[in-house]
Amino acid sequence: MDIIPQIIANSIIAGSVYTLIAVSFNLIYGATKFFNITHGVMTAIGAYAVFFFGKQMGLSVWVAVLIGVLIAGMIGWLLDRFIYRPLREKKASQLALLVASLGAFTVLQALIAIIFTSRFQTLTHGVGVQKTFEIAGGIITQTQVLIVIAALVVTAGLMFFLKCTRFGKAVRAVSDDNEVSKIIGINTDRIIGIIFFIGSAIAGLAGILVGFDTAIEPTMGLVLLLKGVIAAIVGGIGSIYGGAIGALLLGFVENFGIIKIASEWKDAIAFGLLILFLIFRPRGIVRT
Amino acid sequence: MNTDKEKLLQLKGVSVQYGGVHALDTVSVSLDEGEVVALMGPNGAGKSTILKAIFGLAPLHTGRVLWYERPFTPVPHEVVRNGIAFVPQGRRVFTTLSVEENLEIGGYGIRDEKELKKRIESVMDMFPALKQKRKTLSGTLSGGQQQMLAIARGLMIDPKVLLLDEPSLGLAPKVVKEVFKKIAEINKNRKTAIMIVEHNIQSLLSVAHRGYVLDKGRIVAEDEAEKLTSSGILERVFTGRL
Repeated sequence: MDIIPQIIANSIIAGSVYTLIAVSFNLIYGATKFFNITHGVMTAIGAYAVFFFGKQMGLSVWVAVLIGVLIAGMIGWLLDRFIYRPLREKKASQLALLVASLGAFTVLQALIAIIFTSRFQTLTHGVGVQKTFEIAGGIITQTQVLIVIAALVVTAGLMFFLKCTRFGKAVRAVSDDNEVSKIIGINTDRIIGIIFFIGSAIAGLAGILVGFDTAIEPTMGLVLLLKGVIAAIVGGIGSIYGGAIGALLLGFVENFGIIKIASEWKDAIAFGLLILFLIFRPRGIVRT
Repeated sequence: MNTDKEKLLQLKGVSVQYGGVHALDTVSVSLDEGEVVALMGPNGAGKSTILKAIFGLAPLHTGRVLWYERPFTPVPHEVVRNGIAFVPQGRRVFTTLSVEENLEIGGYGIRDEKELKKRIESVMDMFPALKQKRKTLSGTLSGGQQQMLAIARGLMIDPKVLLLDEPSLGLAPKVVKEVFKKIAEINKNRKTAIMIVEHNIQSLLSVAHRGYVLDKGRIVAEDEAEKLTSSGILERVFTGRL
């Protein structure tokens, strides 16, 4: 039974990574109601920006992280401004937006591979240099502590922002009814643009943290997106709180699911959980 | 009524097409300061499209929208900044926001926090039922209360013009009476000009000064409310005998 504390720690860490993707995906989905596939590649953009500015250019880690987060956010904003917004103005269907985002995802991922090659890269300068902590029998690295803290801060921050600020309330209004938001004078395009920036920046942060924890590769975004989306649907699509709950549940189910079976089954367990929710609780845990 | 006052809002020769079909065909309407204008006609006549055209929610194929005799390109947040509020059909309050939050968002353009709070209280005073439910999620309100909230939300910008689309839709007769009482009060006490689309002709003509009758995207009659009632045009339009 010694393994249980470590599995709990792993579940929380995985759940925290998924939280960052799920809440930011839900933030964008809530306002736009479209399945933004490019959200996944923002993780790679953030991570590779840190790789370039931190490791190749030699800037300090914190400066590189800040630049990485801002670049991911800016690219998210640009995608909305020059692809999704014109499509929305032309009353394009959700399918058209989905296909456009798939196209943008493919292009951006290919660009990263062309510029940085498809090899695995690390953001840290050495192996085994990370400080570790033992908490209730489970070992957790410094980066993993940061991942958990980031998930908590981002989720709490977004909930506070949406509940207590006027801009946050406007975001909720846009998510509730885009047309009426326009009617009462909200510049919904501006709001959605900012939402893309914030959501993409959070995804970029997730990619950076994953990069420091393990390694980076151009296709890292797809797996993270799929897990984040499963968490978002399980928790409640479009809900910040739901996304975090779903992510944590997914982290625990995945990690406890492989106690007795091979870890290759992890993804199958995640999709099994998704299918169960789609059949028995399609509106997710918080019933959005 | 519309001859000696300044023209507040006008649509001149406006046509709107949806997929090649004329929703509006060279329509001209106007609204003067302090006036209540009714837009009447059967389903699909183009009444709601007029309100949407003013707000830029229906693209103009031809024609112009004028505000104080000056043409402007209707973009929703610019229209609101001019002082025009729109209460859409079907109430459409923000169901995931509380009553107070709906009003706060209604005054989104007001930067001064004190002024915003003052407006919320002033609007709440007009609708005491909402005051009691200020923290309640608006999705849980009754249909009548939601309609009152939708109108109250429109009043948050202290509009010069209020556009109302079917405010009685789906409401009980007693509630309809209450809604129209409030509409008359808004016009009288706040001097807000109102353009209103409504199927309930009796209630509508009780508050309207002037009206337009539409049929198949065209205006077929325009007159003072009482004259329209006595002319028999409404019966002819609604029974398809025009």
